Amino acid sequence: MASQAVAHEAEHHAPPPNVDADVVTRELIATTTGASGRFKAWTWGLGILSVVGIVALILKFIDQGDDSTKWGYVAALVSFLLSVTGGAPMVAMAPVMAKANWVRPITRIAALFSFAGVATIIMLIPLVAILPPLVTEGARRRTVWYMAPDYSPHFWTTLSLVLLLITGIALFYSAALPDFASMRDHSTGWRQRLGKRLARGWVGTDVQWRTLRMRIGMFGSFYFLILVFVNFLVSTDFGQSMVPGWRDAIFPMYHTVSGFQAGVAGVVIALYFSRKYMKLEKYIHLDAFWSLGRLLFALTLLWIYFFYSSFIVFWYGRSENDIATLDLLIKGPMIYAFFAGMILLWFVPWWILIWNKVRRGTAMMVVGSFVILIGLLIDRIRTFVPAWSVPGDQIHQKWLKVIPETVWPDIFDILIMAGGISLVAFIVMMMTRVIPVLSVWQVQEFNLLAKPIRYMKGHATLVAKPD
Amino acid sequence: MQQRRELDQVYTNRKLLNGQLDTPKWWLPTVSILGVVVLIGVVVIATMINKGLGVTGLARPVYWGLFITTFVFWVGISHAGIMISAILRLTQAEWRRPVTRAAELLTVFSLLTALVFPLIHAGRPWRIAYWIMPYDISRGIYPNIRSPLIMDPVAISTYLTGSTLFLYIALLPDLGNLRDRTTGWKNAMYTVLSLGWRGNPRQWKMQTVGGILLSALMLPIFVSVHSIVSWDFAVAAAVEGWHSTIFAPYFVIGAVHSGVSAVVTMMALMRWLWKWDDFIRPEHFDALARLLIVVATGWLAFTFLELTFALYGQDAPEIALREMQMFQWPWNALFIIFFLTAYAIPVPMWLFKRVRTNIALMFWTSILVNIGMWLERFLIIVPGLARRTPFVYTWEAYRPSAVEWTIFIWSFAWVTFLMLLFSKFFPLVPLFEQKESQVFTEDVMIGRAKIPAIIREAD
Repeated sequence: MASQAVAHEAEHHAPPPNVDADVVTRELIATTTGASGRFKAWTWGLGILSVVGIVALILKFIDQGDDSTKWGYVAALVSFLLSVTGGAPMVAMAPVMAKANWVRPITRIAALFSFAGVATIIMLIPLVAILPPLVTEGARRRTVWYMAPDYSPHFWTTLSLVLLLITGIALFYSAALPDFASMRDHSTGWRQRLGKRLARGWVGTDVQWRTLRMRIGMFGSFYFLILVFVNFLVSTDFGQSMVPGWRDAIFPMYHTVSGFQAGVAGVVIALYFSRKYMKLEKYIHLDAFWSLGRLLFALTLLWIYFFYSSFIVFWYGRSENDIATLDLLIKGPMIYAFFAGMILLWFVPWWILIWNKVRRGTAMMVVGSFVILIGLLIDRIRTFVPAWSVPGDQIHQKWLKVIPETVWPDIFDILIMAGGISLVAFIVMMMTRVIPVLSVWQVQEFNLLAKPIRYMKGHATLVAKPD
Repeated sequence: MQQRRELDQVYTNRKLLNGQLDTPKWWLPTVSILGVVVLIGVVVIATMINKGLGVTGLARPVYWGLFITTFVFWVGISHAGIMISAILRLTQAEWRRPVTRAAELLTVFSLLTALVFPLIHAGRPWRIAYWIMPYDISRGIYPNIRSPLIMDPVAISTYLTGSTLFLYIALLPDLGNLRDRTTGWKNAMYTVLSLGWRGNPRQWKMQTVGGILLSALMLPIFVSVHSIVSWDFAVAAAVEGWHSTIFAPYFVIGAVHSGVSAVVTMMALMRWLWKWDDFIRPEHFDALARLLIVVATGWLAFTFLELTFALYGQDAPEIALREMQMFQWPWNALFIIFFLTAYAIPVPMWLFKRVRTNIALMFWTSILVNIGMWLERFLIIVPGLARRTPFVYTWEAYRPSAVEWTIFIWSFAWVTFLMLLFSKFFPLVPLFEQKESQVFTEDVMIGRAKIPAIIREAD
């Protein structure tokens, strides 16, 4: 009988044995305490960088708050942070909805990124103040807000980002209830008190479990919808509508898909470091990297597809709009960023992730993920910096008649970008001190539903699929 | 999802080969009626080629009408095969197994049908030969290879070749099975076609690896085909409503919506006609409906973006076109029907498990989707051309002629006719997939609950 298990037997090894439930609880709760010296040093370093970044943001606002052309790098950073912190929790949701067993142990690490959405909001605050109004000198620029009140992009984008943060945290909290109860029952000190307060009387009755699953499904779906909406608003209000004549219907989807790509890359990196430095090899199996690798590979291909779908229409269109848009975003001031982004966001990850051996390992997976994140940052710079570099007096034109010069980052921009990215890492690391980095109940559920078995001459896993 | 049902192999063989080893009573009359319709269609096509495109309703400025709409529709339907067979195979979705063959078949036959439309639409189809063998490159008769109109036939024929190969490789074990159960000329045919299939481990391994490799190779082709079809329109900057960057993914996701719905229609028919209740079960419809909810909602998001960014430019001609599409008779009626049938009626219904597992309701809602998706293509193609613009002095609206409608009906009869013909010689549900699913599924006890489980290869 045809069987993939038999066909690829030689390439595979036995799946790791299941771990006893008590050991899971004890070991995972222990990860919240006893941080290593290296962990502390990194946390301090990232914390200091975060503070420096926020201070630089305030100073930049005081110094350059009246010139929107100088805020392109901050806009690119906001978009980048939204992509990583907004996209990562989707890893916790999408495969769960598709009932993929491999994702169960790693949903927590993905959900922790929700808290890092705070960094996006902090960086957004001055940008909202600087965003040009819809109507200036009686002329209304093109936006998706058409005839809506002037404050619409400023107000609704901020509100939707806050809503995304709240929903992300609600999603995290809904899935964390049983773990807070575990902390209540098995932890000590402030963690035990926190567990007791947040577990809200969780004892694991049938009704509680049913409610928990319903909440995860509900918040997950809601989170996905808000995430797509936020990506739509940020990409149009803070990108496309800043450039006269740039009409690109696919751009919001392009922004969303590259956000998912960054989110998965962020989760892979977090998984790698947790696995290696918290000694979680027993719980974070290679299976997770293998599946995330395939997801990352598919998203990498989807990115180039979306990019090309947009590019070919502009390229063939040849209208003044089309030519000006290509000149601004690809051929003109950002040509180096375009090539760098193309290599780092598509070509290198594609070439790394196409190999089965890479996806079955961890080292090259994490390299590929770092490359993707760097590539995404450059790609966001390519799109948002030139968009913000368009002078205010040109923003109402039918198309861009004068292509602005390349805008290079100043010292504030560099410090803000370093600070913003550090703040994300800092928040995620701090959250691992509060709650186990892997979901205790989901690891136990994973062990319950998936059993390593011998199948004919090879190894296989028997995966139960409850409805 | 995997509601395990024990079926022994003899029963599986007998039931799934009932189309080949016996002839159902309805088969011959149905095929005969369809054959007559096909014949009428062929005569009409021949007449049109003889008389010229004047017998159609096509006239400037509407030079693309029912034929190109139906061409795009059938290319869209062809996306069923790879979506169901390749993508679900790569993602190891167990429920795909009874559906794969029908989906692959739909791909092959709908592509064959789609190819006919641009050919007959050319008016003098023999001149297509110049595209393949240009006789005078210096006079610029050589086709412009940068044009999507040239990329189109290349992509579609590559897709057709790949899909046929894909279908054939998956057929091999079943052909071996039929060879061992037939005599006479049928036995000779299956002997040749089964390529010496014996079912030894090496052959199974090759067949499995071949299927996986082809799945992965077909995916980019699958995406490229409808993308290129969309660029036929999107790169034409002169027609309002066409020059949109979102067209490629919008067309692809629309094609998947349409194709998967067509598979649902076909599954319901297969279950009713061949009485395959044990093989095509409500849970398969349930799974497909869940997939369709996701796909349809994604498609709706793309529709929203397409409309939003059409108005975003605030260009007067574009706004006038959208106004015509949505608010002027008869386009407004078509637009409402399109929206209701493609999304607003079926998707809310699919949210209920009772509907998802009701085969009759799934059948009718899947047909609704395809009515809507055909109208969607019509509304994209025709109004953009039909809108009155400066220097266009044709004041009559486009009305498809009887010739066009006959050829349109012919295309459906032709695909069904080919399907039924195929079913006489080859099983529509893959036997080996069915048996493999029996081997790879078992029940496990977790606590006091009996849970269906699947054996997966270890990574």
